[in-house]
Amino acid sequence: MNMQMDMESVNRRILDRRRANRSLPPYRAALSSEITDMLSGFFATARPGATISAVRRVGGGASKEQFFFTLTDGGHDESYLLRMDPRLAITETDREREFILLQAMQGIVPVPEAVWVDPNAEFFPQPAAIMKVVSGVTKPSSAGIKVSGLGTWLGPDLRAKLRDQFMDYLVTIHKFNWRTAQLRGFEIPDADPQQAARWSYNYWHELWHVDDGEARPIVSLTHQWLADNMPACDELVMIHGDYRTGNYLFDEASGRITALLDWEMARIGDFHEDLAWVLMQVFGTFEGSIFRASDLFEREEFIRIYEQRSGRTVNRKTLHYYDVMSSWKCFIITAANGMAAARAQHNHQDVLLTFLAATNVMFADDLVRLLSDNSWQGDAA
Amino acid sequence: MTPNSDERLASIIRALTEVILPQLPPEASLAQEQLHLSVGHLQILRAQFDAIPAYEREELDDAITIGKALKTGVSGGVLTQQAVAGIGAAIAAADGSHVRGQCQAIHDAIDALVRAVAVDGDIAGKAELRKIILELEHVRAQKDRRWFAPFGFDTL
Repeated sequence: MNMQMDMESVNRRILDRRRANRSLPPYRAALSSEITDMLSGFFATARPGATISAVRRVGGGASKEQFFFTLTDGGHDESYLLRMDPRLAITETDREREFILLQAMQGIVPVPEAVWVDPNAEFFPQPAAIMKVVSGVTKPSSAGIKVSGLGTWLGPDLRAKLRDQFMDYLVTIHKFNWRTAQLRGFEIPDADPQQAARWSYNYWHELWHVDDGEARPIVSLTHQWLADNMPACDELVMIHGDYRTGNYLFDEASGRITALLDWEMARIGDFHEDLAWVLMQVFGTFEGSIFRASDLFEREEFIRIYEQRSGRTVNRKTLHYYDVMSSWKCFIITAANGMAAARAQHNHQDVLLTFLAATNVMFADDLVRLLSDNSWQGDAA
Repeated sequence: MTPNSDERLASIIRALTEVILPQLPPEASLAQEQLHLSVGHLQILRAQFDAIPAYEREELDDAITIGKALKTGVSGGVLTQQAVAGIGAAIAAADGSHVRGQCQAIHDAIDALVRAVAVDGDIAGKAELRKIILELEHVRAQKDRRWFAPFGFDTL
């Protein structure tokens, strides 16, 4: 096995596609009228006789082109969401893989019902999936406009209502029996104990190079540190990959979570990878000196409750590794992936990607802080 | 210079906010979002415009500082020595005539050094590499965070 090339097949395909797409001409945002025509073409095959109306773009989000629409069939109206890749996304993922997992998660945790997928862009200009619309919001209506759900302030009332659900659903995802689910395309990193970490590292490291990431000393040091310190994974679980406030819908009145979203980075791996992502400072809030992950839990409280409810022990050394990897991934996403898409004019919102790129300096500082911090060693025993 | 850069940017921002934005229909959500972001970008650019050359020059100076510290502090085998020489060459070429490119050339040379030290750096060299990068990148990161704070993401 070539250790530097070792990664899940889907990620190899994504990297190859991203390289190939670099030479394509500029991409522009689709018009609602064009989306209506595409949907009509798709449903002429998928649901002959059905009609499309009320196509409107979904605001917010930094990655996919999304449209609500109404499908009318036999006098009955149903609301759907079209989720389509731009030519280059800030996070390059696979629509079919997300589709398969959404179907598998039905009835286990609240997820949108995934109904159709066009994985090879036969009907749409880019790979796309269609799912039923779920009611709910990603942030309170009083939260003001923020980009991409970063650092959403929920406040004490919603925090109290949401936190147990947030934790329980994470534990449930990690308990999901992927061995019996037979998820097509989900490979198992069990060749050796480090393979789970190596698959993540290799994919993101190569993605950095594919997108011509500009070297910076702290990032160079981090590349090497991550390569040199890969932890063993004792237990492989399904990880969501982007679990945080902003990536679930909730009913604002009751505080009930109605759907967990954005499963595109899910894979079989180490649960510490999910925990570290939840604990990222950029996705949380500060109230004075108090940090709350996803505005729901203080760091130690989150770890303690996760351990209680999952029955697992969080390995502080492994968590530290994934803390570093999370900030490193965010640096790559904002400084390399988003900027490559904007430079190539291959995205529908270049101006958002260049705006978000300003966050890369926070992740660079996170890497300095994390690699300077040895406090986790005191808890390692 | 008439009109100066500030006046030109101010007129663009006003046209976008007071003429174009009110004409966008409510359902044009993507256009509205991108117009708001464009105006935000331009307002920050306008506020920072005069300071950009000095900021980029300081980035180059900081790259030279970290490069020199690594050049004198890191030791090891043949690959490490070659990478150290590469940093020296990048610093020697950094005359300030093309600050972004010269800064990147030094960072690329440091990247090569990090990889070389992993192969044949000695123990003291590895420790020194880590110490220098963490210390000097801490200083650089604080400057960068202050520079990009107007984007509103940072809790500095």
